[in-house]
Amino acid sequence: MNLIVNGEKHEHTGSGTIDALLEELEANQAHTALMVNGDVVPSESWKNTALNENDEVEMLVFVGGG
Amino acid sequence: MNDILKVGDQEFNSRLFLGTGKFSSTNAMIEAVKASGTELVTVALRRFNRDQAEDDLYGPLAELSNVKLMPNTSGAMNAKEAVRAAMLGRELSKSPIVKLEIHPNPHHLLPDPIETHEAAVELVKQGFLVLPYIPADPVLAKRLEDIGCAAVMPLGAAIGTGKGLSTAEMIKIIVRDANVPVVVDAGLRAPSEAACAMEMGCDAVLVNSAIAAAEDPAAMGAAFKTGVEAGRMAFNGGLMSTSEVAVASSPLTSFLSNND
Repeated sequence: MNLIVNGEKHEHTGSGTIDALLEELEANQAHTALMVNGDVVPSESWKNTALNENDEVEMLVFVGGG
Repeated sequence: MNDILKVGDQEFNSRLFLGTGKFSSTNAMIEAVKASGTELVTVALRRFNRDQAEDDLYGPLAELSNVKLMPNTSGAMNAKEAVRAAMLGRELSKSPIVKLEIHPNPHHLLPDPIETHEAAVELVKQGFLVLPYIPADPVLAKRLEDIGCAAVMPLGAAIGTGKGLSTAEMIKIIVRDANVPVVVDAGLRAPSEAACAMEMGCDAVLVNSAIAAAEDPAAMGAAFKTGVEAGRMAFNGGLMSTSEVAVASSPLTSFLSNND
């Protein structure tokens, strides 16, 4: 499945859920916040949220900031 | 003395809030946080990059006891983006506290009051404890208090400039009229400036660059801790009033010259 992840093309080869994408990208689930096509998706529903072809996914983490 | 700072339903013993940006390393930041005694630190959101996993501050900050996280909305150019950033930050912090900042112009980083107000209305509606970073504008501060912001955070000077309390006269008016905590955010360089803000009656200060860019950030964190505490104690102690004429501290009886 072709996705846009953090602005770049990504071919996802897993089961197509958000959970599977995070695993594929080696992202720590507890440290990651996520939007799909501009909508915030709470972590509770990642397991059951199926991604679709050409979805735009933003994965974000906490970094230093004032 | 019981001198707890209340922001909404959150309570803080320390009146020094710390930003976590610009530090030379995560370790330097953690040491400064510890030395400062802060109980509230700001964090920003950035795209996940597995090649820069060391920039992820979630783990290091989670290990600090007594330190709450306040995600900011940095990078938001308008109200809509800020609301989205706040929602993402809450997903990670699991807390309703948010530092609302919308500064679309990278040259001066001054807050956009109109977008900030619009975003604050929406975030308050969604149950956030909103701490907006604002120009030192007493009218805007009051309007934000009226719509339910938990505090207001007027700037002392532009972000990262270290020009101190250039807005002192406006901040005094904000403090005089406010019924929510007033936090001076941005511009401070020296602990004496933090003390000065606290003496004026501000409820807290938020410092980042002054500590992160110091030669010894942990030492500067400790210095700001002391400055904030001294200023707060002075405010509570009640500063004497000023006088246009000299008022002697010692008795002026002329016992030396009258014994001829």
